[in-house]
Amino acid sequence: MQDSRSRASVKSLLKREIGKIRGRLKPPAYRGVWDVETIDRRRLNLLLALVLGLAGLPVFMLYVLLVMSSFANTMLSGPDIFSARYSIENWRMLFEGRLSPAAGQQYTTRDIIMIIVNTLVVALGVTAVVLVVSVMAGYAISRMRFRGRTRLMELMILLHAFPGVALIIAVYAIYVWTLGFIPTENTFAYKSYMMVYTVFARAALEIPMSIWLMKGFFDKIPWEVEWSALVDGASRFKVWREIIIPLVKPGISALAIFAFLAGWEDLIYVHVFLYPEIKTLATFIEEVVGSIETTYLPVVAAAGTLYLLPTILFFVLTQQLLLQALSGGVKA
Amino acid sequence: MRVRLNPAFLFLIPALTLILVFYVVPLILSVYIGFTPLQRWNLNRMGSITAYNFERLFYMMFHDPDFGKVIRTTIVFTAFTLAINVLGGLGLGLALYLMDEVLSLPYRILWLLPRMTPVAVYSLLWYYFFLGGEEGTLNSILLRLGVINEPLSWGTDPRLLPETAWVILILVNGFVGVSFGMIVFYSAFHSIPREQVVAARVDGATTSQIVRHVLIPQVRWHIVYVTVWQLLSLLTTFAHIFLLVEWGAVHRWWGSTWALYVFNVAFKTYEQGLAAAAATVLVIIGAILGLVALRILKFKEMMVEPKGEI
Repeated sequence: MQDSRSRASVKSLLKREIGKIRGRLKPPAYRGVWDVETIDRRRLNLLLALVLGLAGLPVFMLYVLLVMSSFANTMLSGPDIFSARYSIENWRMLFEGRLSPAAGQQYTTRDIIMIIVNTLVVALGVTAVVLVVSVMAGYAISRMRFRGRTRLMELMILLHAFPGVALIIAVYAIYVWTLGFIPTENTFAYKSYMMVYTVFARAALEIPMSIWLMKGFFDKIPWEVEWSALVDGASRFKVWREIIIPLVKPGISALAIFAFLAGWEDLIYVHVFLYPEIKTLATFIEEVVGSIETTYLPVVAAAGTLYLLPTILFFVLTQQLLLQALSGGVKA
Repeated sequence: MRVRLNPAFLFLIPALTLILVFYVVPLILSVYIGFTPLQRWNLNRMGSITAYNFERLFYMMFHDPDFGKVIRTTIVFTAFTLAINVLGGLGLGLALYLMDEVLSLPYRILWLLPRMTPVAVYSLLWYYFFLGGEEGTLNSILLRLGVINEPLSWGTDPRLLPETAWVILILVNGFVGVSFGMIVFYSAFHSIPREQVVAARVDGATTSQIVRHVLIPQVRWHIVYVTVWQLLSLLTTFAHIFLLVEWGAVHRWWGSTWALYVFNVAFKTYEQGLAAAAATVLVIIGAILGLVALRILKFKEMMVEPKGEI
């Protein structure tokens, strides 16, 4: 048993070394599969682009209409983008909390600001928890020997696949039970606990995949770096903090973006744990659209656009990083 | 005597704690709740053990017409969305692989957009597209084209149910799910040695021959992997359906899958015992599919042994 395992590890080591050498011998990357120019590549390119474009068009159109509607005097549905009148009136109404022009104030400017702040707190909280936990665990799994290392990683994959809906019932039961110990009259403590619990519960969902991702980034650092520091007498923790962490900064920033977006976009957890005491942009939109009869839709479009903004921003800024990290986790 | 603790343990404490509190304990608790008459989060009721929830679930499967609709919706939704996700993902990955990089990158980004969009905004987009009144995008387009004479409530009109509700669910989730396959297949195609493609090309193979005989056969395992993984997530996720049902864009029963039904029983009708029993079924399916996915991943090869410990 022991023997076969060590033989397997030697084998994988060899394979890796050979792979490395092969990588060095490889000619520079080809572009596309068109190395032998025997057919007209422009025609196929055009055809594929057209098909993919047409297939994606409905969705893309929806995004454009939403963003444009947030500036228009009516919800746009296509050709009417030319006849509508545009202004920033919807955005002003959103921040004044006037979600329906006829009815009275439903929200105040302060409420809206608080909703945005709450969303940010959840997103940043999730980011912090995910980063600390997975940078530590990812390092241990990538670099250290301990019993059950492989089992643990298998467990991570299984957990990632685990049905969240089965968990949330029990996680909520624990929440109800622990909330019983917090004095209700102390509103600040009560709400803080709600927020903290939600952040941890939501972050836990991201943990298995994040550890997996982080392990991949640690795997890429050459061992010599670590050995030389260890030989010089540095402690394991010191090596981790002062030498390894700076080397995986790209990985950490990729992880931070994913964790932030996960916390930012969450609906189910903030709906279950925080609504209606603490509202975020997700539950806010859920609520306003729910009372659709009285709601002025272009203002909702403005709220939706506001909510969409960080996603688009990250998208434009980090597209390469995003694709790299997403494909790193599934390299089989 | 000083006990020497493996330093790896210190690094793992935060992760292990979170996994214990938010995965292991809830998992056991969830199965346990399935055997209790828990209602309205009255935790005092958790003392007594009963198999009533499972009996009731079994009875409902055959005799409750609404639950029957949920089951049929789950089957149709899962089957069709799965087909779209796997085949669409394969097609997308292939097309993007064949394209020039200049074109491929913006397209990959574009197709990822639904996945990265906040669920509430994504639901809002589709809610508005299928809105019942004249101002709904689909109605307004079709009215202008003269295809229909009056605005239709696409997801709830009894004359159109259940097919339209199903189409809405499949469409909404398909656009999100297809990007997973796209990413997996795209990187799988790129890991095929270029020489093979070039050799086939030199031998005079056409593009479609290369696709059928060189590229597709080498991503067989990825196809199985994506299928299993997507099957799992389609059975268990419900976030993208949740708001469409809540906002009334689709019919309450013809638009609900098993997972959403579990959620609503737990948090709307407050019968947590029943919900947990229904969730236990998902847990079993999830565990089996998860193990299958692990085997396919050729997991062991991805674990590189640490080289040194000083």
